[in-house]
Amino acid sequence: MTSKSIFSQVLVFGFYLLLQIFFVRQLVLFDYAFCFVYIASITLLPFETNRITLLLLGFFAGMSVDIFYNTIGANAAAMTLIAFLRPSVISLLTPQRGYDERQTLSLNSMGLTWFITYTVVLTVIHHFVLFLLEASDWGLFLPVMAKVICSTIFTTVVIVIIQFFRRD
Amino acid sequence: MYQLVQFLTRQRAFILFALLEVLSLWFFYSYNNYPSAIFFNTTNRYAAQALETSNSIKEYSNLRDVNKELASENSRLNQLVSTLQAQQLSKSVTNYKADSAVAARFKFVLAKVQNLTTTQFNNYITIDKGSADGLAPGMGVISSTGVVGKIKSCSEHYSVVISILHSEYSVSAKLKSNNEIGSVKWEGVNPDVVEMTEVSRYKIVKLKDTVVTSDFNYVFPPNIIIGYVKKVGVKADQTFHDIEVQLATNFHTLSYVYVINNKLLNEQKTLEEKSGDLKVK
Repeated sequence: MTSKSIFSQVLVFGFYLLLQIFFVRQLVLFDYAFCFVYIASITLLPFETNRITLLLLGFFAGMSVDIFYNTIGANAAAMTLIAFLRPSVISLLTPQRGYDERQTLSLNSMGLTWFITYTVVLTVIHHFVLFLLEASDWGLFLPVMAKVICSTIFTTVVIVIIQFFRRD
Repeated sequence: MYQLVQFLTRQRAFILFALLEVLSLWFFYSYNNYPSAIFFNTTNRYAAQALETSNSIKEYSNLRDVNKELASENSRLNQLVSTLQAQQLSKSVTNYKADSAVAARFKFVLAKVQNLTTTQFNNYITIDKGSADGLAPGMGVISSTGVVGKIKSCSEHYSVVISILHSEYSVSAKLKSNNEIGSVKWEGVNPDVVEMTEVSRYKIVKLKDTVVTSDFNYVFPPNIIIGYVKKVGVKADQTFHDIEVQLATNFHTLSYVYVINNKLLNEQKTLEEKSGDLKVK
């Protein structure tokens, strides 16, 4: 990895965090659909990112968002979990011919089906952990599931739309 | 020993994962149980300043609503002043006269909302006044339209308020028309409706009746509006009414709030604790 591409990765990571904290935080549809676009800061890191880096960045991103949501620990727990599961999800979703050496983790290079499946799987895990922790009550299981489903759709759509604006 | 080191290096990702998970869950549960012990929330100075900047843009779009609310509050207060003056003139029938310190025990501090949520299971509001202005955890918070919540933690210039839309917060309330006492709590789903319980099913509850704070309340002065009765029902095996209350405060456009500082709170609490053994309940 060249220093230039590391620099651009840092920019992308920061972009998703700031987007989440200052803009998307206010965005709630029908009281049920939340947008947690900052998940992309972890899911879209390059394939070769090692597990330790993933975990640390995930924890950091979750913590930063938690501070602004007053849910200290909930987002961090969910993000650490998806950072840990990400390598397994990627290998589960291996296309028939395997991953190409030069492929990058983006919509253009992976195709719509792969990209959406990958995003949905990690998003569902994240939202499920987050909302269940927040509710802390099995009696609220149905509203939790409703929030998980609506938010997963919302988050995935936003992440995919942002992909269309990438230059590569 | 060598094998142990080898095992640790091989499993280092999993070990780090477990550590971070434990750390975040520890943060999460300790924040819910010992709120003031933790620094990582929106009372953090840098977080609050960042929110303030991003909020200043949004504020303009709210000005119309804020003006309307303040104007209606003014008219309500004028009304109140005139009624009180009238009462003073006609001299009340009883000989009861409140001690001036008791009558003036509530002090109101105006604060601006920096950040709020309405759609989580536990909602908080961040305001721009803190311990420097005499605020402390436990104080009540109201808006020009009604009850908002209670202060959870303070930093020097900011405070976090537990909104009434919080799963573990309930307010002692009464029905205005017949003074029936109950308690109001949020069910966790609809941010415009709260639930009032503990009103006996043999009492009459009228639709559209006003629900206000009761007199048995440390944090709020009596008769502050909470909301209006929207729906009344009784669960089959219950002895209480199941009352849905439409909140008077619109949390979506909340911009300015008053923090209530009860100057005699400590005196009242100490006295009640001292005589606690004698209490028959």
